Amino acid sequence: MEELGRIHQLIVPMFGYKVVFNLETIVMTWIVITILTLFGTLAARKRNMIPHAIQVIGELFIAQFGGLVKDALDDDEMAKKYTPLICSLFLFLMLSNWLGIIPRLEEPTKDLNTPLGLGVLGFFIAHYAGIKAKGIKDYLLGYCEPFFFMMPLNVVGELAKVVSISFRLFGNIMGGSIIIMVVSYLTYSVLLPPFLNLFFGMFVGTIQAFVFTMLTIVYISVQVK
Amino acid sequence: MASDIQTWVRVAAFVGGGIAMGVGAIGAAVGEGYSAACANSAISRNPKSAGEIFKAMLVGQAIAESAAIFALVIAMLLLFSKFPTDSYVMVAVLLSAGICMGLGAIGSGIGSGFPTGAACIGISRQPGIGKRLTTNMLIGSAVCQTPSIFSMVVSFILLFTDFSQQPLLPTFAALVGAGLSAGLGSIGPSLGGGLVAQAGCEGIARQPTRSTALTNIMLLGQAVSQTTAVYGLLISFILLFKGVPDSPAIAPAAALLAAGICMGFAAIGPGIGEGYVGQKAVDAMARNEDVTAVITRTMLVGQAVTESTGIYGMVIALVLIFVV
Amino acid sequence: MAIEGADIVKAAAFLGASISMGLGAIGPAVGEGMVAAKTCEAIGKNPREAGLLTRTMLVGQAVTESTGIYSLVIALLLLFVV
Repeated sequence: MEELGRIHQLIVPMFGYKVVFNLETIVMTWIVITILTLFGTLAARKRNMIPHAIQVIGELFIAQFGGLVKDALDDDEMAKKYTPLICSLFLFLMLSNWLGIIPRLEEPTKDLNTPLGLGVLGFFIAHYAGIKAKGIKDYLLGYCEPFFFMMPLNVVGELAKVVSISFRLFGNIMGGSIIIMVVSYLTYSVLLPPFLNLFFGMFVGTIQAFVFTMLTIVYISVQVK
Repeated sequence: MASDIQTWVRVAAFVGGGIAMGVGAIGAAVGEGYSAACANSAISRNPKSAGEIFKAMLVGQAIAESAAIFALVIAMLLLFSKFPTDSYVMVAVLLSAGICMGLGAIGSGIGSGFPTGAACIGISRQPGIGKRLTTNMLIGSAVCQTPSIFSMVVSFILLFTDFSQQPLLPTFAALVGAGLSAGLGSIGPSLGGGLVAQAGCEGIARQPTRSTALTNIMLLGQAVSQTTAVYGLLISFILLFKGVPDSPAIAPAAALLAAGICMGFAAIGPGIGEGYVGQKAVDAMARNEDVTAVITRTMLVGQAVTESTGIYGMVIALVLIFVV
Repeated sequence: MAIEGADIVKAAAFLGASISMGLGAIGPAVGEGMVAAKTCEAIGKNPREAGLLTRTMLVGQAVTESTGIYSLVIALLLLFVV
């Protein structure tokens, strides 16, 4: 049980600073990226009016998410612009959360840095979209609502969004894996841990990936409106 | 001094056992009372199906009672087991196990009462679908019990793991914190799960043809409203198993206790709030079947935002454990 | 064992932070839950306005959450500044 909360790190001294690499997370992230790239190439290869199986999956998926983005943003042009981002975000998160089902592989989302990075990415995209849609003056005036002196709290509120979106994903995935670990340590059972693993990996993982993606769309749409 | 430790360990065991059973009995009693009240009003509405309603009530009450039975098991263990008396840490173990199970049983007892009541009234309205309603009620209230099972797991770990070799002051605080985190943290989520299950039973009574879809969405709503209980369990496991260095200062110990209190209380509100969301979502879906997709989406987003204060609580707890 | 004053103050700050965030999280969460619950109900009655309702819900929840954010700020201040 001592390995609770400990991760394998590679610390490289560089220019007087210590640069830390979380090796496991990097390797697992690359595995996810490779699988997604393979899926993408297979789905887009030999596109045809009569689609093959993988192309059907890809098309269904993009149509679904395109609809979601369009509903939230209420604007065809902008929806077209953000659909690819939203689709890849969801696919990456879902596959990352599913990765833990396979023994010896770890979810990259279990490391806080991954969700935090994606949360910061979403934050910047949302604010860029907001500035672009409203202009810098209206964007800044938005912080002074309802009164001018509420500005610091509005700023904290915006930053808190990043914290809550990334810690939600991290807490769920980390919590799931710790519960599985403790249960398998307590029971030595063959049946229960794989079942829990499947529940937390497939069910909770998919829901959390969807929630993260939906919130990113919603944050963009709040900034744009 | 050995006899002194012995005395305090026995005191802790008895106080812990008392808290476990005393606090743990609140929820089950309220929940069973609610189900019986609903069953009576259901029978008065439709006396012909009294037998079926009575059966559903008994089954539902049995499930609501299980949380109190968990508390009884822990209380019995505390009263009649022999505990090693070589360290004062045992005092924290016993108190914490009792508090954890006692608090953890409140929500599940009350929560399981809601679907039972709704199922009884549903049967009085639509006597033909008793079996389907009972099944849904059983699934819904079983899910309500999950948080109290989390608390029971934490109590068992406390009782059957050897903490006596660890430094006294920080371990004491960490163990009490772990109990509070898991115990308080399971009150809200199980109440919320009960609200969702109630709406599920009402919805099936209204639209028996769509029972599968309604059960699925009910389970989704319940699963999401229980995430804060998972956070509480997470903090509690970290407090239990993260070895703490010895130090005579009070501040590090207070930080561990504070982490447990913070996560425990912060999990109550989100659980109840997410339960409301799930309840109304299931209700809306039962009334208007065209809106399933958009309601599911709104429910998930609404619940996610509702959860954010629970996440702030978890962040503060993690900061208290790992940073300060 | 002499207990230093600074130690006690720090311990109190930690406990204060946890009580601030813990209790402060209850109210906003229940309130936000009510907002989202009513939104689901309203969308069920009038699905055509789903987009508008969702946006109103988010703005309402953001305002409701402000007391939770005050608690968070106070907790962080107690942990790192005081």
